[in-house]
Amino acid sequence: MSEAKGILKKLLLRGGGKSRLAGAWITLVAGCLLLFVSVELWSTFRDILDGRRSQDSLGSTFLTISKKVEDASMADKNATTISDQELTTITRAPQVQDAGKLTPANFKVAASLGYGPMSFYTLLFLEAAPDRFMDQIPGRWNWKEGDRTIPIILSRDFLNMYNYIFAPSQGLPLLSEESVKALGFTLTMGEGPMQQEYQAQVEGFSDRISSVLVPQSFIDYGNRHFSSNGTVHVSRLILKVKDPSDKAFTGFLSDHHYTTNAEQLRFSKMRSVVEAVSAGTGVIALLLMFVSGLVFVLFIELTMAKAQESVRLLLQLGYSPAQLRLFLTRRYVPLMLSAVTLSLILTVLLKSLAAQRLKSLQLEIDLFPGLYVWIAVALSCLLLLWQTIRSISRSLKQ
Amino acid sequence: MKLRTSGLVPIPLKDRLSARQSDIWSQSLELEKGRYLSVLAPSGTGKTTLIQSLYGIRRDYEGAIFWGDQNLRTVTEEELAHLRSTQISIIFQDMRLFPDCTAWENLEIKRSLTNTVSPEQVSEWMLQLGIADKKNAPAAQMSYGEQQRLSIIRALLQPFSFLLMDEPFSHLDKRNTRIASGLILSVVQQHNAALLLADLDENDFFPYHQTLQL
Repeated sequence: MSEAKGILKKLLLRGGGKSRLAGAWITLVAGCLLLFVSVELWSTFRDILDGRRSQDSLGSTFLTISKKVEDASMADKNATTISDQELTTITRAPQVQDAGKLTPANFKVAASLGYGPMSFYTLLFLEAAPDRFMDQIPGRWNWKEGDRTIPIILSRDFLNMYNYIFAPSQGLPLLSEESVKALGFTLTMGEGPMQQEYQAQVEGFSDRISSVLVPQSFIDYGNRHFSSNGTVHVSRLILKVKDPSDKAFTGFLSDHHYTTNAEQLRFSKMRSVVEAVSAGTGVIALLLMFVSGLVFVLFIELTMAKAQESVRLLLQLGYSPAQLRLFLTRRYVPLMLSAVTLSLILTVLLKSLAAQRLKSLQLEIDLFPGLYVWIAVALSCLLLLWQTIRSISRSLKQ
Repeated sequence: MKLRTSGLVPIPLKDRLSARQSDIWSQSLELEKGRYLSVLAPSGTGKTTLIQSLYGIRRDYEGAIFWGDQNLRTVTEEELAHLRSTQISIIFQDMRLFPDCTAWENLEIKRSLTNTVSPEQVSEWMLQLGIADKKNAPAAQMSYGEQQRLSIIRALLQPFSFLLMDEPFSHLDKRNTRIASGLILSVVQQHNAALLLADLDENDFFPYHQTLQL
């Protein structure tokens, strides 16, 4: 630093005091940090609630719905069929974010395992759901024509019923998820000359869909090749619903004679609560950011007010307002930017810590702040820069 | 470049000045480079007001002041700063030093603005005016005489075409006045500048081309 700059610093900046400067800077760091963290919280909550990052979506509820079977419709095999038109109507229903068909296997399926006295044989049903509705997608969840092994996702309820009800009463061994995954069994598809055998492997368990799920590509293939009665009738839909307890949604279901698990309709309004909390945090953070920006600007103005005599004499000696403005800007803008930078670094650290903690809860979030945080950083910088330069110019004019 | 005033009257002194004759107030004045003007100004006639108005510190006057073709009333802050750092220098009656800064810092802050005088030259002038030993003393702890010599050196640390002086030797004895005026004259001649000195009484500090009554 040249001698003149040292003298200018002495004349213009000494009035602020180091402790006041540190206080104003720390307040600015705290304000920026709160703002960035709350924007990050809001953004992450939003992504999690909307299920953008993983197959698990905390804020939405997945429901399977079907048409009620009533006495009058018992004889009509197609009474429960849901048409494409009805699917479109449901997609537009209140609270519904997405809807998809659960496509059933329109052919006979039998599962068998082992030979002799230890053998096992049962007729079975299969269904396929669009991947976007699955709560988990195993690594091997692909099937293409020619593949002899079919991956299966089993409802966890089925395994629980076996382990806790069926196996104890029949004196059968209990099965862990890992042991079930290790067991391969044979699936026999179709009847007569069209019959074919495939190997099946359980790849995962679902809490969301009570069914025996196979890849959509296999169901479509099977319905074309093993079905003897043509058209596939879809009777069950899976819906992604924002708030299933909403009266408009439950009213829609009952008006159209759809049935679902009533318990799920009483699903807590967690999303609304989370949204309200993150919005509230955002408002408080904005206020704190405003206050911390104000503290920083007031510090500049206080320092300049104390240096008013020096400023006046410097101008009388021939220093131009632009020279003094440049000197002060070079002093305060890096301070302001360093506060924003430190806040951003702390936000990144907190985010990566949170990401590691959430990973153990099966929630995947990005390690780095999202776009909204960068927008908040850019806006904060612009706003603080404008405030700082304006405050310096105003002090020089006085 | 020359200094011109026309119909200049300070508003606060307007009533008082209308009762007496002045060579400057309400008149036209011209001062060209290389000319030395003495302004005799008894107390209360607006001596400091004149110097400060010409330097652009005060704007409470009627009439106009032109530095070259620039009307002082309409110049911007930046243009005024340029005039003050390259064309017009001043020795204030009240010195106007930074009290917390040392003698050297008070000079360096001015010198570094244009960097046209070397630090060695500054040291030489301090020695010449007898304040070399006060280099590191805060201005507030210096005597009025020392402060006045410091402000004289400060006024010489830039290029200038006009030097305005408001009772520049009021705190100096005859010997120091002679040394200081000799230094000022040599630098003014070096720049071929004009000087305008306002004082209470007639004086022979400089070889004036003109003496006017305020």
